[in-house]
Amino acid sequence: MNDSIQFLISGLTIGSIYAIVALGFVTIYSVTKVINLAQGEFVMLGGMTMFSLIKLGIPYFIAFLLTVVIVMAIGWLVEWAVIRKAKGADPLSLIILTIGTAIFIRGIAGMVWGKNSVKVEPFTNDVPINILGASITPQSVWVMVFMLLVVLVLYFLIEKTMLGKAFRACSVNPTAARLMAISPKKMSSLSFALSAGLGAIAGLVIAPIMFPSYDMGIMLGIKGFSASILGGLGSAPGAVIGGLLLGVIESLGAGYISSGIKDAISFGVVLMILLIRPFGLLGEKNVGKGGL
Amino acid sequence: MRKGVQSFSWKGIAVFSALVISFPFLFSSSFYLTKATFAGIYTIVAVGLGLLMGFAGQISLGQAAFYGIGAYSTAILSTTFGLNPWLTLVISLAAPALLAYLLGHTMARLHGYYLAMATLAFGIVIHVLLTEWKSVTKGASGFFGIPKIELFGFTFRQGISYYYLVWAFALIVIILSLNIIHSRIGRALRSIHDSEVASGAMGVDTGKYKMQVFIISSMFAGLAGWLFAHMSYSISPGSFGLNGSILFLTMVVLGGGTSIWGAVCGALLISAISIIVHTAGSHVSFITSDFEQVLYGFIMMLIVIFLPQGLVPAIASKLKKQKQKSARANKVPAIGTVKGDQNV
Repeated sequence: MNDSIQFLISGLTIGSIYAIVALGFVTIYSVTKVINLAQGEFVMLGGMTMFSLIKLGIPYFIAFLLTVVIVMAIGWLVEWAVIRKAKGADPLSLIILTIGTAIFIRGIAGMVWGKNSVKVEPFTNDVPINILGASITPQSVWVMVFMLLVVLVLYFLIEKTMLGKAFRACSVNPTAARLMAISPKKMSSLSFALSAGLGAIAGLVIAPIMFPSYDMGIMLGIKGFSASILGGLGSAPGAVIGGLLLGVIESLGAGYISSGIKDAISFGVVLMILLIRPFGLLGEKNVGKGGL
Repeated sequence: MRKGVQSFSWKGIAVFSALVISFPFLFSSSFYLTKATFAGIYTIVAVGLGLLMGFAGQISLGQAAFYGIGAYSTAILSTTFGLNPWLTLVISLAAPALLAYLLGHTMARLHGYYLAMATLAFGIVIHVLLTEWKSVTKGASGFFGIPKIELFGFTFRQGISYYYLVWAFALIVIILSLNIIHSRIGRALRSIHDSEVASGAMGVDTGKYKMQVFIISSMFAGLAGWLFAHMSYSISPGSFGLNGSILFLTMVVLGGGTSIWGAVCGALLISAISIIVHTAGSHVSFITSDFEQVLYGFIMMLIVIFLPQGLVPAIASKLKKQKQKSARANKVPAIGTVKGDQNV
């Protein structure tokens, strides 16, 4: 019993990260219909930039904010330099384009930071808290708190502000949005910056637990992608549910079966769900055409 | 043009074969020969993936999994059970084909990003199984002691004999693929690539053809795996992971999936780049294997942005345009045609 609570909590921790990454996918997808497979690299950049900034002696809190700003700038740059140039490409080409971007960023990171994983100090002290016989590190609590914060802020941003209305307008009908003086190009840039920011936050909060390295992005990106596919592409609640579900499945699989095959279990479940519901858990049938 | 759709010329094959045959006489060092042998193995996978991407309009981010299944099937059967490698070739072809058939039923219902996800998930599951099923695959440290291929008492060892063996298979695969795309299946596939709905309405059984091509591409990958396993003394799961799949994808994207020769050129160019990076790396310190990755990423971005069809189809259409232009200039010097030409 204690074990299962422990597994559940570690599953929810990593699931929260997947959820944040998946929300990054959804943010870009809903505005531009692009699936940005370089999303995981933003997470990596978040963790590694934080490490470098702290090493430079910048105070923790300022380094945190600075990291988010830097990664957002990189996200904006990626949209401006790469994605915008291939406007109107089909999903197949866009997948290839963003995979190319991802291995490009990863390769550069490998040259800049080297191959070793680094250590980032946790937000608060390291002493585990006991809840129902399971021990939780404070950083796990922070991860979940940040996930909830991200969900709340995104909800507020998309549903209650003018910017969110503009986002949704571009998603529904870019031409009509342009006639209403909303620039889809600008919104596209903003969505990339926003989702890079989300990735950076995910990278920042997970860094003390995961020991970031230059190649952590690819797997996190794929997990976030599968979380958003699991929930149904383009659905924000689906992304959160998909992320948490994936985290819990993975953690239970690792705990009860074998930690080596946890990825096989979680991706096996993704395959099964796609077999039964080809449009994801919360996706609408017409969305299930994969953005076509 | 019409003629090109109906049949293919043997001229291209003949020139290419001559190049393949003469290569060992020009570059006889074992480093180049090994790289060229690998280029042949990659060509087989890339041609299969090119059929899938360029002709059926499907994407596979898990092609390395079929490659790995082919390699491990033969490694396990010929080493652990002592079967003749020629016998296990059948298994190396059948096992990926069977998996592709089963998977194809799932894939047939998926499109675009969902299909990408499913193939990605499949590739990762297989890679994890190869790594973790230690009692059979010997795990991450690799599978040792794979026997060599023998034919009428002749043993194919890594080097010049294996080079010719691999390229003989590669040429067969190329000829087979050229035949496929110039047949009824090829026409049906092209129509699916252009518009699945329209070809379905014209009576093309789109599901059937997509499935067939998926199976063919998986068998090519399995064949490449078989060749790879018997070339090296040992194999490890590292060669069959996501990086492998991305490498094959880069080859097809670079060369262009809408032409068989595109996939071949892609595989050769990537192999050449790898040699250049390797050679440059021994002189300049910052050029490492990471640099190779950066280069692949950069190539993929550039190609999708500037030459979405890939190198070979882009060059071919440019040459054709030039030919037409010169033909027109020679034939019709009349007034008034200039205006008409601009509209064409």
